Amino acid sequence: MIAFKRTAWAACMATMLVSSAWAQDKPYAGVELKMLGIGDTSVTRVAPLVDEFEAQTGIKVHIDQLPYPGLIDKIIVESSSDNPTYQLLWIDSPWVGMLGEAGALEDLTSRAKRDAAEIGLNDIIPVQLQEVSWQGKLLGFPASGMTWLQQYRDDLIDNPDEQANFKKKYGYDLAPAKTWQQYKDIAEFFTRKKGEMAAGKPLDHNLYGASQSYSRVQGAITHDYFPLMRSFGGDYWDPKTGLCAMTGEAHVKAAEYLKSLIPYNPPDYLGLMWDIQSGFMERGEAAEAAYWSVRSVRLTNPEEATVAKDGKVGFAANPISDAGPQPTYTGTLGFAINAKSPDKEKDAAWEFIKWATSEKLMRRFAEEGKGVSQFRKSILSDPQLQAKYPYYKVLLDSQVDARRRIFHPFYQTVEENFGVELSKYMAGETPTALEALTKACTAVNTQLSMFPVEQRLRWIQDVPVEVLAK
Amino acid sequence: MSQIANRNRNIALIFLLPAIVILFVTTIFPMLYALWLSFRNYDLSKPFIPRIFVGVSNYAEVLSSSAFLHALITTFKLMAMTLSVQLVLGVAIALLVTQKLPGMGIVRTLLLIPMMISPVIVGLVWLFLYFPELGYLNYFLGLVGISPIGWITTTGWALTAIAIADIWQWTPFIMMGTAAALQSLSPEPYEAARLDGNSRLDIFWFVTLPQLKPVLVSLLFLRAIDAFKIYDIIYVLTKGGPGDATEVISLYIYRQSFTFWRMGVGAAASFISLMIISLLITYFFKSMQRSQAMQAR
Repeated sequence: MIAFKRTAWAACMATMLVSSAWAQDKPYAGVELKMLGIGDTSVTRVAPLVDEFEAQTGIKVHIDQLPYPGLIDKIIVESSSDNPTYQLLWIDSPWVGMLGEAGALEDLTSRAKRDAAEIGLNDIIPVQLQEVSWQGKLLGFPASGMTWLQQYRDDLIDNPDEQANFKKKYGYDLAPAKTWQQYKDIAEFFTRKKGEMAAGKPLDHNLYGASQSYSRVQGAITHDYFPLMRSFGGDYWDPKTGLCAMTGEAHVKAAEYLKSLIPYNPPDYLGLMWDIQSGFMERGEAAEAAYWSVRSVRLTNPEEATVAKDGKVGFAANPISDAGPQPTYTGTLGFAINAKSPDKEKDAAWEFIKWATSEKLMRRFAEEGKGVSQFRKSILSDPQLQAKYPYYKVLLDSQVDARRRIFHPFYQTVEENFGVELSKYMAGETPTALEALTKACTAVNTQLSMFPVEQRLRWIQDVPVEVLAK
Repeated sequence: MSQIANRNRNIALIFLLPAIVILFVTTIFPMLYALWLSFRNYDLSKPFIPRIFVGVSNYAEVLSSSAFLHALITTFKLMAMTLSVQLVLGVAIALLVTQKLPGMGIVRTLLLIPMMISPVIVGLVWLFLYFPELGYLNYFLGLVGISPIGWITTTGWALTAIAIADIWQWTPFIMMGTAAALQSLSPEPYEAARLDGNSRLDIFWFVTLPQLKPVLVSLLFLRAIDAFKIYDIIYVLTKGGPGDATEVISLYIYRQSFTFWRMGVGAAASFISLMIISLLITYFFKSMQRSQAMQAR
């Protein structure tokens, strides 16, 4: 009997010790999180691995993947609810002002500072952290870092016959475009019909000179127009009034330039959303595209893009306008925490963010050939990975002097109004670029002018993210 | 006696109560709430904007908006395109399927299928057909040497493309109602007309059509209400684009409410569209009554 009691006692103690150790090791075991995410690389790569995270931490994560159009609408409804369903939110960096001013996102500053070594804060390209900040607060964490870069058919541009013909026609050497005029020349030169020759072979499909976004859906056209407009020297806001100022000469020139590329784009240009636009590059049916690096990795993977088998894609920083050197334009796809979640779930969500954006996982994605658009210096500067992914060096170099995307609380109003008006201008329904831009700007300013100038000026100020302060 | 009447009235009220509660919760309360919203500055995405009473300014904004006027015109254009074709096609098919020919039962059932499909699915089906690069329609056009058409990506075609999808889905509705009416027509006027030596076209024009008129007006009236509210197919196919070529009233309301999050403006636009549709219904009823009164005379 004594022996039995001793055994039972020992068993109880052992159980208590093990469970105590387990509880310390996995403080969030049993917590269930839901993520409202996008069905694109920044989420699709990590989604199949959430079981590994659960095994490590005991936190169960369920990810709902939605298309980009409409996702922000769902996030706004979710964040306006007092009993949110989703603790984790996928965000695109232009939304950060809108969600930040509404108090929808948890401030991650103190957590990021506390865990700086663990998350490798210094390893992250600074502008990527700036992208997901609002008024100096870190409201999201980069999961995919983007620049708007130039993708081109290297196999066509490298072909000696094409080079000779190009030089004969345009009077200078064929090379990746350095100016927007060169970009247009290349687009014109390579616009060819099925059956014509390209790099010495007959084409079995039409070849389009360029592939840009012209669709109004979710303001797709603005995602090409805004960086283009800024590279022409324009800006979004009047620094004295905080009102929309996109009606200047640079803005008009940029819109006219985008329109001038239409003859070299697929005939259904008004329907070109990002997936359709990038599809032309992926199938090798476009000679070049100025596009966000979010899908660049697909162009290097034969399983995801036929062009990686049949041709070769090169990458370069985007061209500049004739006005002179301009910085490149970044964007960040990040993970954020719903501010209305209970504290324990917020902490568990932060654990997930740390894991899902860790250097270890990002390196693993890169090595497995299905990476995201990377945002860590250590990965982008790795010579072996640079050899595997030629765009890594472009990403790294172009972000040294990069400028942030739009981050205004009225971003959706801007995106939608400019999306519709620019699309109408491209379709020829609005006769001039100035008229289209004026209509869009007026619609935005009608709403903004209700606010005091101090508030409007605060909204356009890019306060340095506090987490990087020394 | 009055006690029994009172008791019966109370029992009737008790039986009606669940229906009244459900009606209040699902219809009356949301409408009253929307009406309340339409007089307020309510932006769901910007809780920092005071949600104050703004009088009729939301209504004034909608009524003075060129986008609303454009959406209204586009809605009426679409209604004119779809209703006219649906009426002609629906009557023609009804005349065909009411003939005593073998297999007509199966044909009738097959023709009803589009009407039974959810509009979102109809939109997706037509999206595959219209799809710019990989769509079947352009593939078949290519086989007969016709250049591809930007069905949903050119401003000239997009509204027509929407109309075609709507006609495909809802012509069976007109067909079904007309066929039912045709089968219930009395045979005597036809026999008399034939004995008088009238042609088949004359018989259709002077005998069948006048008898069908009340049914056709009712069917058109129901379709008009539906067409005025069209949303799903457009949302799937074009989301109002390209440009604003297919932006109808419902899309305008959606954009105000769920893109700009201006719930007050969206609610005001909803009530204005409700008023327009109510005026249309009243006009339809009045003209129907007038026409029936004239026939009776």
